[in-house]
Amino acid sequence: MIFSKYLFFILSFIAIYAALKVLISKKPMHSVLYLTLTFFAIGGHYILLNAQFLAVVHIIVYAGAIMVLFIYTVMLLNLNIQGEFPKSRLAKFASAIAGGILLFTLIAVFRSYDLKVLADPSLNQIGLVKNLGKILFQDYYLPFELSSILFLAAMVGAVMLGKKDIY
Amino acid sequence: MKAIIALSILAVLNMFFGVRKMKKVLLPLIFIGLIITMILNISDWGKSVHYFNEMFIADNFSIAFSSVLILIGILIFMFANIYYKGVERPLEDIYALILFAIIGGIVMASFGNLILFFVGLETLSISFYVLAGSKKFDIASNEAAMKYFLTGSFATGFLLFGIALVYGVSGSFNLEAINTYILGCNGNVPMIFIAGMLLIFIGMSFKIAAVPFHFWSPDVYTGSPTLITAFMTTAGKVASIAAFYRLITIAFISLHSELTTTLTVIAVLTIIVGNLSAVYQDNLKRMFAYSGVAQSGYLLMALIVLGPKSAGILLFFVLSYVIATITAFAVLMLIREERGTFFIPAFRGLAKNNPVEAFAMAIAMMSLAGIPPLAGFMAKYNLFVLTAEGGYTWLVVVAVIGSMISIYFYFKPILASYFSEGEPQHKIESSVNFKINILVLSILMILLGFLPQVIINLL
Amino acid sequence: MTDKIYVPADYVPILIQSLVALGFVALTMFATHFISSKRKRIRTLRKDENFECGIEVQGNARFPFSVKYFLVAILFVLFDVEIIFFYPWAINFLQMEWREFFVMLLFVALLLFGFYYIYEKGALEWNNDE
Repeated sequence: MIFSKYLFFILSFIAIYAALKVLISKKPMHSVLYLTLTFFAIGGHYILLNAQFLAVVHIIVYAGAIMVLFIYTVMLLNLNIQGEFPKSRLAKFASAIAGGILLFTLIAVFRSYDLKVLADPSLNQIGLVKNLGKILFQDYYLPFELSSILFLAAMVGAVMLGKKDIY
Repeated sequence: MKAIIALSILAVLNMFFGVRKMKKVLLPLIFIGLIITMILNISDWGKSVHYFNEMFIADNFSIAFSSVLILIGILIFMFANIYYKGVERPLEDIYALILFAIIGGIVMASFGNLILFFVGLETLSISFYVLAGSKKFDIASNEAAMKYFLTGSFATGFLLFGIALVYGVSGSFNLEAINTYILGCNGNVPMIFIAGMLLIFIGMSFKIAAVPFHFWSPDVYTGSPTLITAFMTTAGKVASIAAFYRLITIAFISLHSELTTTLTVIAVLTIIVGNLSAVYQDNLKRMFAYSGVAQSGYLLMALIVLGPKSAGILLFFVLSYVIATITAFAVLMLIREERGTFFIPAFRGLAKNNPVEAFAMAIAMMSLAGIPPLAGFMAKYNLFVLTAEGGYTWLVVVAVIGSMISIYFYFKPILASYFSEGEPQHKIESSVNFKINILVLSILMILLGFLPQVIINLL
Repeated sequence: MTDKIYVPADYVPILIQSLVALGFVALTMFATHFISSKRKRIRTLRKDENFECGIEVQGNARFPFSVKYFLVAILFVLFDVEIIFFYPWAINFLQMEWREFFVMLLFVALLLFGFYYIYEKGALEWNNDE
């Protein structure tokens, strides 16, 4: 489908542009809003891959709930204090080199791998809610139950850090 | 599996009684629960049960490392009432988080599937992030939690990306299936798979604080509450090295010969940098953080030469490290309570006024440094012999030099408490219970030094 | 009954709808310039204020507020993520065996216990500052 190919490039452009703007923006709130845009673009990618459940979850949880948290966090910051944190020239240089090497390696690695069969993702039905649910509740229910332990730990942690006691 | 279920029930009960403000019930409940968990865990010994389509593998390796993790729990709770002496609150949340972290650690020691591994790792890490910041009005603790969280989640991102790449190429999360995939490639493993594997290794190296990824550990371990630091250094390292070992020996075993160079470089750097940085520390807690980095280097050595005994030696090393570290931290905790400082002068005259504590501290430090005939020496000795037999003589030379450097800083508190001149500090009051605990641990360290083969031959 | 084959093209209506929604906003903003009276818009300092309501604005909105809001938000996210798991479960409900039912029951039990814990700890109370 030629249309989905163009859609892929449009979505990728939006995702990368917004992700860059997240880093570049001087105002934290703008970063947060650009992050939302990135999430929506990635949600679009999931739909193109026919991973519908993932797309919906991504919009609801990330673009919805997590963004609320991010906005709260930004509001908890004291933004009246202006100015940037000082970064040494050496640190900037080193991180640029390290990041560049990582990018270079990953691009080279991805280019070296040739996909022998170009599977059409749009015919893959595994990402549908129904099939995903079957796999989740038949094969992967141990990680599922353990994730409830993880949630419980997160809840305890949130309550602990949010309360006023010294310990 | 039984251990996880028992621990989850224990954590829930503990939270329930804590919420009901039954402070007196909590610690006895946890002790009984942990001992029951230990028994349940060991009852599966030798059966090698595979649960839920290879999701969870309870073989002897996993049971042994789970037992070490539960033992860490027991030891930490032994000293919990001393550390949290004046606190009125039931503290069920801190206890629950420790239990959750142990659950995560057990999962990391027994996974057969990368998804389960990730969930276990997250359970461990999230509990640690919160625990590091559990002293809420202490700015150092806040800093520790923040730094740990930011760097830790960054490393977890690398790990997850690696898992995604490995899954994308091999088509399976199952460790055995990944190995089958590698064998099926006939030596032509795609670079993208290697990249994924290395990203997983980066994540794991971060978790055990191996050298290029160790920068978080001094600040985090210094800032966190002392009891939690003792827990994090031991439990985090044990669980992560067990997971690392599982990954390498099951999933990536066919690529092991190509991995050794990377692992060796990391191990050498870790040993050298860890030991040399520890020399310059005056703050004992910070010194422990750096020496913990060095110990990770020794642990990595067990992954380089894989013999039939390497799992047993790893277990013995981990066990001796755990006991020595927790003993040392227990004494450190007591001294910090009384003197308000972690610096060496606080130990002045300890041998005269508190002989038991000074003795335990000395034994623990000597065990960590590797002085014969203590447990730490036997652990290092066996590990070095294993590595030398594998043909890595120069690695052993580096490790021995590292150990010799470590003697210098491990002996600082011993010298201060036994031979220091100047005004000795006043006596520290400690309960009989505490004295018995640390004495038992010291005797255990000496005993283990004479019976290393018992533990090593277990696996 | 065979399952319907789903393809990404099924989402075209949603795409169109979101484009229409976006387009409406853009069009309205654009059209106001033409529909409004010919006279030049009156801009004053008062009228351009963010919250123009007759009361003087004091300070700005950028100050740290109580962590309780954040606590509620973070608990909301946790429960939100947990509820997501109900969706695939509910869709498969008719073909399910008892085991899957109990899997979910255990999950919900732990979730409920978490809620009980939060409630009893008073994390959702607002007037306990005394």
